[in-house]
Amino acid sequence: MTKTFRLRQGGTPTLKSMALDILRGGRLKRDFLALKDVTFSVRHGETLGIIGANGAGKSTLLSIITGTMSPTSGTVTTHGSISSLLELGAGFHPDLTGRENVFLNGAIMGLSRKQMRDRFDAIVQFAGIGDFIDQPVKHYSSGMYVRLGFAVAVEIDPDILLIDEVLAVGDSDFQQKCLQKMRDFRERGKTMLIISHDLKTIQSVSDRILLLDSGSILGMGDPANVIDEYQSLTRKRNARLIEREWGTGEVKITGVSLLDGTGVKTDRFKWGAPLEAVISYHAEGCIVQPVFGFSISDEGGRVIYGNNTQIEKFDIPRIEGDGSIALTLEKIAMAKGTYRVSFSVHSADHKINYHRLDNKYTIDVESDKAFEGYCYMPIKWGR
Amino acid sequence: MDLYRRRELLLILVNRNLKIRYKNSTLGFFWSLLTPVLFILIYGIFAHILGFSKTRPDYLEFLIVGIVVWQFLAMCLNDSLGVILGNANLIKKTSFPRFILPLAMVIANLINFLLTLVVLFAYLLAVHMTFGNLAILPAVLLAQCALCLGTGLILATTNVFFRDTEHILSILVLAWFFLTPVFYPIDKQMAFLPADLNWLAFLNPMTGIVCGYRAALMSDGVAFLHLTWISLGVTLLILIAGVAFFQRMASRLADEM
Repeated sequence: MTKTFRLRQGGTPTLKSMALDILRGGRLKRDFLALKDVTFSVRHGETLGIIGANGAGKSTLLSIITGTMSPTSGTVTTHGSISSLLELGAGFHPDLTGRENVFLNGAIMGLSRKQMRDRFDAIVQFAGIGDFIDQPVKHYSSGMYVRLGFAVAVEIDPDILLIDEVLAVGDSDFQQKCLQKMRDFRERGKTMLIISHDLKTIQSVSDRILLLDSGSILGMGDPANVIDEYQSLTRKRNARLIEREWGTGEVKITGVSLLDGTGVKTDRFKWGAPLEAVISYHAEGCIVQPVFGFSISDEGGRVIYGNNTQIEKFDIPRIEGDGSIALTLEKIAMAKGTYRVSFSVHSADHKINYHRLDNKYTIDVESDKAFEGYCYMPIKWGR
Repeated sequence: MDLYRRRELLLILVNRNLKIRYKNSTLGFFWSLLTPVLFILIYGIFAHILGFSKTRPDYLEFLIVGIVVWQFLAMCLNDSLGVILGNANLIKKTSFPRFILPLAMVIANLINFLLTLVVLFAYLLAVHMTFGNLAILPAVLLAQCALCLGTGLILATTNVFFRDTEHILSILVLAWFFLTPVFYPIDKQMAFLPADLNWLAFLNPMTGIVCGYRAALMSDGVAFLHLTWISLGVTLLILIAGVAFFQRMASRLADEM
C-alpha cells in the first residue's frame, strides 16, 4: 500500500492564491510519499509494535488501517471490529460531558446504546475520573482526557485495537493499568497494533516489531533485533548531524581504531572496562611539538571528558610522515548511554588546528551500575 | 443499508447538534423561536415602509410563513460550512460513514423547524386562517429537507477544499433570499416575466417550496402550484449532485484537514 499527500504551497487555496496560480501557470505542487509500498500482515492474536522516527509514517499507517484515510494505491484488509486510539481524546467534543462523549464514541465504533450502558461503569471505573464524568470534557485535565479515551477504546472490546503513542502520557500508575489491560488483551487472543517511542515498553508487549523509516519498512520481526537496528540507525543519524571535520591539514588523522581491552575493534563498551584508541596520522613535512587530544560528549552535546597529550605531559618532540599514537582509558566511568568521541591534533600554543574530527565516532556504554549523574567517581563507604 | 445500521450514531449526533447549538447561550432553545420573530419584526417594518404590507390583508401571516420556511434553509446553509471542518477531530481520528454528519445537521435543523412549525400552526389557528390542502405539507417538507441536504453536502465539502466558500456563501444567500418570494408576493416577481416564461421563476427551488407551504398553510398562490414541479425537479438534481459529489470526496477529507 502507498500513501501520497499532495503538499500545496501555502495550505488551502483561496481566491487570491488561485488567481496567482493562474498567472504563474500552474500551482506549486509537491507530492509527499508518506508510505511507500508498505506490505505486511498481522496474524490474529498478534501484537505488533510499530517504531520509527517522527515523520516515518507510523500514524498515517494506523489512520489508513482505521479507515480515516484511504491509501493512494493498494488495499488494507481487516477482519473483525477495530477500535483505535489515534490521539489523546480522539473524537471527543469539548462541549459534551464525559458521559455523552462515551456514548458518542461507542456509537462511532458501532455499538448500541444498550451495549454501551453495560460497559459504562467499567469505563468510568477504569478511567478513574469519578464525578467528572458529567462535566464537559473541556474542563478535563489532559490526563483525564487520555484516561477516558483509553478506557473507551479498550472497554469497547474490539477484535483489533490500534494505539498511537498513548503510553507516553498519563502518570506511571495509569501507564501500569494500560499495560495490564494490554496484556489482558493479548492473552484473550486479540490483535493489537501499537505505536510507541518507549522502546523498552514496546519490546515487552510486542510479538513482532515493524520499523518504519521515511515511509518504508526497514525491518520487521523479533522485537530485540528490530529495536537494535533502530537504535543503531538513530545513532548514525545523530552522529552525522553534528559531525565536522576541519583543520589546516598539515597533519591529518587518517583513522582511529576503537578497541576494547582485548584489542578487538568495537563501538560498544562495558562500564568499568578499558577503552583503547589507536590514532593514525600523516604529517606533511616535519611538525614540531604537536598535541593530540580527544573529548567525549553525551548525546546532548555536553563534553563529559576531554584531555590531551600536553595536559598529561606526554611529550611528542616532532612527527613526520605516517605514524600512530595510542590512547588508553583504563576504566570507562561514564553512565550508560551513547556518546560521541572527537579527536584532534593541534599546535602546542593551540593557535593552529591541524586536523579535528568533531563527534566523528559514536560509542555505546553499557552498564549495570545505576548511579546518578554523568560519570562515576570511585568511592568507599565505611562505618 | 449502512446508514440504517448506524442509526444509533445518527441519533447521538442529532442530539449533540441540538444540545451544542444553544449550550453556551442564556436563552438557550428560545433562540430558535426568537430568531424568526426578530426577522419577522425587521422585515415587517421594512415591508411596511416599502408598501408591501398593503398588497394583501393577510400580509403578516404571509411574511411569517415565508420567514419561518426560509430560516430552515438558512440555518442548514450556515451549519453546513462547519459540518466537516468543525468535526475535524472525528474525521481525522475515527472511521464511520461521513454522510452521517451532514445528515445529522439537517435532521437537527428539521427538528428545530418542526417545533417552530407547531408554534406557527397554533398562531394560524388563533388568527382563523383558512388552511389550504394540508396534504401538500409533508411533500413540501420532504422537498425542503432534500434541498437542505443537497446544498449542505456541496457546501460542506467545498468549504474543506476551498475556504473562501464561507465568504462567498453569505453573498449568495442574500441574493437567493431576494430571489425568493419571502417578503414580496410571487405576483411581483411574475410581473417581470412574460406570461409564457413565468416558469423560469420556479427554477429557484425555494420559490416552489415557499409557494407550496403557503398553498398548504394559507391557501395562497394555488394557481402556480403546477409550476412547483419544476422546483421539485431542480431540488432532486441538487440532491443527486450533492450526494455524488460528497461520496466522491469523502475519502479525501481527512487528508485536507
